[in-house]
Amino acid sequence: MPTRSIWTVSPMALILTAVLLPILGAQTVPPKSVDDIKIDKWNSVPLHGTAYAGLKSAPAPRHDLSAIWDATGDPTNIPPPGIQPTGAFEHRAVLPDNNSPPGGEPDERNIPNPLPYTPLGEATLEAHKPTGLGVRSVPAVLGNDPVDICDPPGFPRMDLSEFRTIEITQTEDQVIVLNQFYRTWRTIWTDGRELPKDPEPRFNGYSVGKWVDDYTFVVQTVGMNEKTWIDNQGRPHSSELKVEERFHRVDHDHLELTVTIDDPKMYTKPWLALHNFPLKLQPRGFDIRELYCSPSDFAEYNKEIGDPSIAPPVK
Amino acid sequence: MRTKLGPISLLIVGFLAASCPLFAHHGNASYDTAKTVTVSGTVIEYVWANPHVFLKVDAKDESGNTSHWVIEAQNAVNQANAGWSKDTFKPGDQVTIDATPAKNGRPIGRFKGRILINGQVFKP
Repeated sequence: MPTRSIWTVSPMALILTAVLLPILGAQTVPPKSVDDIKIDKWNSVPLHGTAYAGLKSAPAPRHDLSAIWDATGDPTNIPPPGIQPTGAFEHRAVLPDNNSPPGGEPDERNIPNPLPYTPLGEATLEAHKPTGLGVRSVPAVLGNDPVDICDPPGFPRMDLSEFRTIEITQTEDQVIVLNQFYRTWRTIWTDGRELPKDPEPRFNGYSVGKWVDDYTFVVQTVGMNEKTWIDNQGRPHSSELKVEERFHRVDHDHLELTVTIDDPKMYTKPWLALHNFPLKLQPRGFDIRELYCSPSDFAEYNKEIGDPSIAPPVK
Repeated sequence: MRTKLGPISLLIVGFLAASCPLFAHHGNASYDTAKTVTVSGTVIEYVWANPHVFLKVDAKDESGNTSHWVIEAQNAVNQANAGWSKDTFKPGDQVTIDATPAKNGRPIGRFKGRILINGQVFKP
């Protein structure tokens, strides 16, 4: 039997290669980490859940929060966790068996995890009339939520209501948080300065931060404008409000945020508004869609839907 | 083109319902969440904006009278995340939409699931 020349095999291999290569080439290689994913579309949609199945996160980088992070969570969660329409995530103003209450209750005594209000805190809460969802929600004509007239949400409400996609960037002296909702930003100073003693009130307050370990950045904020609410349910604060945020980078792809509210005028003790709240790293190239409050858009909406829907019933 | 009002009574009286123009979620107060209407008609305008995306539809009832419906979704970011875009509807489209109706019986609704555009089921 003659020895088969390698050349007799090669044409077959070439044919196979010619057939298989386009097929194999057409198959996308599954990403191994978020860093293997590149988004090139404007107005990106946050990735969660199945989009990230099987991805392995690298260890957290040291002293680094720089990235685009999403707080809306798995889209199968309705409402998405960061939006917090019924109030700060750890103290949602819902009844134990109903995540979408019709409103109308005079206070929050029936919610599962009520807040430790002082008498002034309780009275101020009752003066705040939230609209939308929540046990105390009222019709919009009776509401006085500052955000319903496009006032700035301010801080800490930007963590506790409409908390969606944020971009964090760092310089030598600052950590800067860029917020999707209202396109606002916060500067957290890391240059060692102290918080102001008698600050001129600001919607977003005054923030300083420091790394307490390689992966945990702790921010203190004071000097918030009393016109703002703490969350969507009108939880109140005074000028004595102090907020602590702990950003903990669990690994490369995961960040957790814990927010503590301390205001002795309104609450008998500090309380946790977010506790290890998860934020998910978004891929390179992620383009944050804008989300503004436009008074003229609101006027159009109210003309077409808001006002007619509160008009007297059709006879 | 016709509007099916289904089980809705047009005689609901005595309740001043409300709109809650929040970004994330419209309040429940102004809508009768237990009910569904099917609105069939012609798209007049599609507004891709905040606080809520909405659609205007002219629908004729069995007597030939035209109702000017306005049906709202959520804000543009939520709708985009759900696969909608500024081009999902265009004027002249023939649509059939299931909606949660306003309690006050006016032709105002909130998208509730089924959407047909020119005979095709809309699957974002």
